[in-house]
Amino acid sequence: MKRIDPLINFISGRKFRKGWHAFIIAFFLIFVILPTVYILSYAITDWGAIESGVLNNKETMGMIMGAIAASFEIAAIVTVIDFAVGLPMAWMLVRKKFRGKNFVDTLIDMPLAVPTAALGFSSAIFWATTPPAMNAPPFAFGAITSPMLLIILLHIVFSYPYMVRSLSAILEQIDETYEIAGQTLGASKLTAVRTITLPLFRAGLITGIILCFSRSLSETGGTMIALATMANSAGFNTGPTLIGTWKKLSATNPQLVPQLAFVSILLIIVALLLLIVLKLVVMKVRLPMGKVWPTPEKILSRGLAPKLKDGSAVFFLAVFILIPSFFIFSYVLTSAASLGDWGPFINSLGYSFAIAAIVTAIDLGLGIPLAMYIARSGSKKISHSLDVLVNVPLIVPTAALGFSLGQFWTDQSLIPSVPMLLIIMAHVAFTYPLVVRNVAGAVEEIDPSYEETARTLGAKPIQGFRRVLYPMIKSSILAGAIMAFTRSLGETGATQAVVSDVVTAPVYIVDLVNSNQYYLAGLACIILIIVSYAAMLLLRYVTRKKRGAV
Amino acid sequence: MPEVVLENITMRWGNVIAADDVNLKIHDGEYVTILGPSGCGKTTLVRIIAGILRQTEGEVYIDGKSMANIPTEERDIGYVFQNIALFPHFDVLENVSYGPRVRSVEKAEWERISRRYLELVKLLDKMEMFPSELCGGEQQKVSLARALSTGAKLLLLDEPLSALDARVRVDLRYDLRRLVKSLGLTTLHVTHDQEEAMSVSDRIVLMRNGRIVESGTPENIYMHPRSIFAANFIGETNLLEGVVKRADAVSTIVELRDGTLVDAVPTEFKEGDPVVVSVRPENVYPAVAGLHVVVSSVTFVGTYFRVMAEADSDDRVEFDVPTTSEREYNKGDDVHLTIDKWSTIVYARTPGGIGEATRLE
Amino acid sequence: MPEIRLEGVHKNYGDIKAADGLEFSVKDGEYICLLGPTGAGKTTALRIVAGLTEPDSGRVLFDGEDVTAVEPEDRKAVLLSQTYSLFPRMTVAENILFGPNIRNWPEEARKKTLANMLDLVRLTRRSDAYPRELSGGMQQRTALARALASGAKVLLLDEPLRALDARLRISLRHDLRSLAKSLRITTIHVTHDQDEALVMADRIAVIRDGRVLQMGTPTEVFDSPVSPFVANFVGQSNFFQGSVVRANGRIEVRDEQGRAVFARAAKVEPGEKVVVGIKVGNTEITREWEGYLQGIVERVLFEGRNLFIDVMVAGLGRFSSRVPTGRKAEFAVGDKVSIRWNPDKATVFTLTDRSLDDELRVE
Repeated sequence: MKRIDPLINFISGRKFRKGWHAFIIAFFLIFVILPTVYILSYAITDWGAIESGVLNNKETMGMIMGAIAASFEIAAIVTVIDFAVGLPMAWMLVRKKFRGKNFVDTLIDMPLAVPTAALGFSSAIFWATTPPAMNAPPFAFGAITSPMLLIILLHIVFSYPYMVRSLSAILEQIDETYEIAGQTLGASKLTAVRTITLPLFRAGLITGIILCFSRSLSETGGTMIALATMANSAGFNTGPTLIGTWKKLSATNPQLVPQLAFVSILLIIVALLLLIVLKLVVMKVRLPMGKVWPTPEKILSRGLAPKLKDGSAVFFLAVFILIPSFFIFSYVLTSAASLGDWGPFINSLGYSFAIAAIVTAIDLGLGIPLAMYIARSGSKKISHSLDVLVNVPLIVPTAALGFSLGQFWTDQSLIPSVPMLLIIMAHVAFTYPLVVRNVAGAVEEIDPSYEETARTLGAKPIQGFRRVLYPMIKSSILAGAIMAFTRSLGETGATQAVVSDVVTAPVYIVDLVNSNQYYLAGLACIILIIVSYAAMLLLRYVTRKKRGAV
Repeated sequence: MPEVVLENITMRWGNVIAADDVNLKIHDGEYVTILGPSGCGKTTLVRIIAGILRQTEGEVYIDGKSMANIPTEERDIGYVFQNIALFPHFDVLENVSYGPRVRSVEKAEWERISRRYLELVKLLDKMEMFPSELCGGEQQKVSLARALSTGAKLLLLDEPLSALDARVRVDLRYDLRRLVKSLGLTTLHVTHDQEEAMSVSDRIVLMRNGRIVESGTPENIYMHPRSIFAANFIGETNLLEGVVKRADAVSTIVELRDGTLVDAVPTEFKEGDPVVVSVRPENVYPAVAGLHVVVSSVTFVGTYFRVMAEADSDDRVEFDVPTTSEREYNKGDDVHLTIDKWSTIVYARTPGGIGEATRLE
Repeated sequence: MPEIRLEGVHKNYGDIKAADGLEFSVKDGEYICLLGPTGAGKTTALRIVAGLTEPDSGRVLFDGEDVTAVEPEDRKAVLLSQTYSLFPRMTVAENILFGPNIRNWPEEARKKTLANMLDLVRLTRRSDAYPRELSGGMQQRTALARALASGAKVLLLDEPLRALDARLRISLRHDLRSLAKSLRITTIHVTHDQDEALVMADRIAVIRDGRVLQMGTPTEVFDSPVSPFVANFVGQSNFFQGSVVRANGRIEVRDEQGRAVFARAAKVEPGEKVVVGIKVGNTEITREWEGYLQGIVERVLFEGRNLFIDVMVAGLGRFSSRVPTGRKAEFAVGDKVSIRWNPDKATVFTLTDRSLDDELRVE
C-alpha cells in the first residue's frame, strides 16, 4: 500500500489535477461535441452541392420536408401524451406508499431493456394490420392502419421511462412541506399542487420534455421495423428512417451525400432551436395564479377523482406500454416455426454486446470525471456551459449524429476510419451524456461537507472520492451505466448512419423483417430481449444489494 | 367552551409509539406550549391536530366539532412550520395573501387583509421582496403573517423559533406572544426550549416518550414539578440521592450515600424509603457549615459565577455566586453549603436512579 | 498544538464581504469562540483556517509558518460541520478510524486508538451502529472522536451544538470543553449563542460583517465591551443617549429632558454626544429609592429563578432588569419604579454616524 502513496500524491497535485481536467474537457469537446455538429459546416462548404442536388429538386425536397415534419409531429404528440400519463405515475412513485411499489418501479424501466427493434416488431404485430404472411395471433388488436398512428404508439412506449424518471427525480427534490403549507392555508390538494408545486417543478420539467422529445426524434430501428412489418406503409418516412435508407444507398451513389447532409443539418438545427424556445417559454410563462376554482378543485382532490387518476396511470402503463412490449412472446409461441441459419444472428449479437460494453466502459471512465467537474467545479460559468453542452448530443437525432460523425472522421485523415471504431465513437457520443447527467445530478445532491470533512481529516481528493463519495453515488453510476448500455444495445439509427455495412443485432433484425423472415425476426427479438433484460436485472440486483446497506 | 380537545390520541408507526393515549384540553384564547425533548411526540400531536397526520386511535375536536373526516384545508387553522416553508416563487405579499386568495376573496379585500398583518409584524416595506432576500427572523414573521391572514382563530406553531439565532429568538418570542394575545387567538406552540416555553405560555404541557407527564403554568411547573424529569428539564436543579433516615411533621431527614444528612421539607415518605432530593442552584448558599463539597470548576456567566462541585456523597452540586462576592472560588476549594429547606422537593427514587429519570435521548 | 494567526484576511462573494480585514490569533491549546450573528462571517473564517476556502488576500499562520497555500489535507485542522457529516455508509468504528485508515497506520495503533476514542466519548457499545441509528448527541460525539482520532492538532467546530435540543446543549457544553482541554487541542468554536460562548471559551472574538469587533476573556467582553453592539450582543444591555456634562472621574451624562445618569471613567469631552450602556443584569429597579430614571412597569415575565421586568421610561423607551423571583410581590404591571445602577458597571460609548438601532441590529 505504501508504494501507492507517491502515486496518490502525484495525482493530487494541483498541476496534475488541472491537466486532468483539461484533458477530460478536451476529450468531450473533440470526440463528442465536434463530430456531432460537424455536419453543420457542410451548409457552408458544400452549399453548392446542396443547392443543386436538394433545394432545386422538388421531389427530394418534398420527401425531406415530409419526413421531417412527420418526425417533429410525432415527437410532439408523443411528448404530450407521455407527460400527461407520466406525471401521475411519477407522483405516485414519489409521494405515495403502496404495496407493490417496488414492482411497479421495475416495470417502468422495462421498455429500456427491450431494444427498440424488438419493440417496433412487437408493437406492429399487436397494434397494426399486418400482411397475412405474418400470421399474427388472433388476439392481436391489429386494427391500426395509419403508419403515423402506429409510430406514435410505438414511440410512446420507449420515451415513457425517460419522462417518468426525469419527473420523479425533480419531484423528489421538492419538499412536500410546501404543499402541506398550502393546505393549512386552505388550499385543496389540487390547488396546492397547481399553484405551488408545479411552478417549482418548472426548471426540471424541461429535462423530462427534452429527453422524451429527442428520444422520439432519434428513433430509427423500431420505426423502420414497425413500418416494414405493417401492411401498406410504403412511402411513409421519418427523418431518421430517411437517413438510414439513403445512407445504405449512398455506398453506391455518392450523389446522395448532399441530401443526407441536408436532412441531418435540418434535423439538428430545428432540434436545437426547439430546445432554446422551450427553455424560454417554460421559464418565462407566468402561470395564472389569479384563477382559483375552489369547488371543482376540491372535488377533484378527494374521493374518487385521485383514485381514478392513479388507476388510469397504471392502466395506461399496462395496456399501452407493457402489453405491446411483450406481445412478441405470444407471437412466437403461436406461430409456425421456421428456423434458419443462426450464425449471422449470433455474430450480430456479439457485435452489439461488444460495442455496448466498450462504449459503456468509455462512458464511465471519461464521463464520471466530467460529471464530477460539472458538479463540484468552483466556477459557475464553466460548469453551467458544460452542462448545457452535454445536452446537445442527447437532443440531436442519433441518425443525424451518426452521419455527421461518420463524415467528420472520414473527412479528416489523421485517424483511419475503422468501421467498428466509428460505431463505438458514435455510440459514445449519445450515451456519454446519459452517464454524465446521472452522475452529475447525484453528486450535486450530496452535501459537499462530506468530502470537505474527509479532506480536513487528511484524505486527498482522490481518496475522498473513493472512500466517501463513491459509495454514495454508486447506484447513480450504475443507473447511468444501465442506461448507456441498453441505449447502445438498442441503437439502430446511428449505427446505420455511420457505417451501413456493419451488422449489429438491431440492424440484423431490420434486415430479417425486410426480407420477410418474420419468425426468425421474432425469435431474434426475444433472445435480444432476454439477454438485455438479464443484463439489466443483474445490474439492478447489485445496486439494490448495496442500497440495502444504506 | 374549550377550543381544542384531544381524546385518547395514539399514533403508532410499526413498533414505535409516537403518541401514547394522550388527552389534552386547550381553552379558548389560551397560549399553551407543548414542551419536551426530541422524539417526545410533540410535533406528532400538532400535526394530528392540523390533519397532516392521521392518528391511529382517538378523536380530535375543534370547537366541539369532530375532525374525523375533515381534511387539513377545512380545519380553519393557522400553521407555522419549523423550516419556515415560504413559497419561494412568490414575493412576500403573494405569500401572505395566499390564504385569502385560495378562498376566492376579492382582490381589494385580500390586499387590505394582507397589508394589515404585514403591518402588525412590521414588514410592510418588504412587501415586494422574495423570501430568499429576507433574513431568518423576517422570514418567520412573514410566515406568521401568512398564517394569520387566513383569519383562523387557532394558531399552531411547530418549533417556530428553533431555526433562528439565539438572539433573534429572544426578541421574536416576546413579539409573538404580544401579537397573538392582542388578536385573541388560541395558540398551541411546540418547542424543546424550556426558556422559550416559560416566557411565552399561559400553560406548559410537558411530554416525554409520547405521553404528557405534567401540565401547569410556568410558575407552577417551575416551583412545584411533580417529577424528577420535570424538575431537571425545566430550569436547573441539583439532585441528591439518599434514603429517608427520619420523617416527621417538620422535616424529612435524608441520609446521602456518604452518611451526610440533609434537611428537607416534610413529606409522606417513611424511614428507609429510597429518595432523591431536588434543590435548585439559587436555593443553595455557601455557609460556614452544612453540606461539604469540593469545587470542580468555576464558570463566568455574565452577572454571576456558576460553581460546580462534588459532594462527599459523589452527587454533583451547582450553585451561584454573584460577581460582587468577596470570596473567590477556585478548583479544589472546600466549601460548605446551606440548603434552603422549604425550597426542596423530595421524590421517590426508581431503580433506574437519576440517570434514567433525567435521560433526554 | 499550534498557535494560529489570521492576518488581514479578505474574502468577497460578489458584493458580499464575508471577511473584511479579519484578524485574530489563538494561543497554543486555547479554546476560543467566534461569536456573532448569522452572516457575520464566522463559518467563512473557519473554512479559511481549514483551507477549504481560499482568501482573496491575507495570511493564515500556524506556529508562525504561512500555511495559506497548504492544502486542507495537510493542515491537520479538522472541521466539524453543523450536521457532523458522519459518513453514512460507515459504522461508528469505521468513521472514527477514517483518518488512521487513510494514513495506513499499523493495525496495533489503529486498534488502540479506536478503543481509546470510544471510551473517551462513551460509545464503546455502539461501535457497530450506523450514523442514522444514533441520537443527535451520539452523532456529535462520534464526529468528535473521528476528529480527534485523526491526529488533529486544531479543532474547528462550526456551531457544534446547534442541531441539539436546548436542554442537551447545556449538558454537552461542559463535556465538549473538557474533552478538548484534556487533550490540549487548540480549538476554535463558532456560535451565535452568547450563553454558550461565555461558558465555554478561554477567549471570545465577537465578529460582525466580516471583522472582529472585540476579542478578550468572557469577563472582558462582558464587563468592558468596546461598542454598543458588543454590549448588547454579549448579555443584553439598556442604553441611555445624551451629552457628557462632566468627564473627570465618573462620567455624568444628561439627556434633553435633564435626566442624568452616571458611568465609569472614559476618554470623553464635555458636550460630546454619547451612549451609556448598562447590562440588564446590573440594572436595579426599586420602589424605595429615587434612582436615575423613573418609569412604569410594562411587563413582568417569569423566567424561573428570575423575573424579567420591562419598564417604560417616558421619552426613552424600554429599560429591562432582572430580579430574583422571590421579590415578585414588589412589582406589578403599572407600578411606578425607579431605575439605578452602579456607575462602575456602566460603559460610555461615543456615537458613530449610525443610529443606535442600526448599531444594535442583529440581522
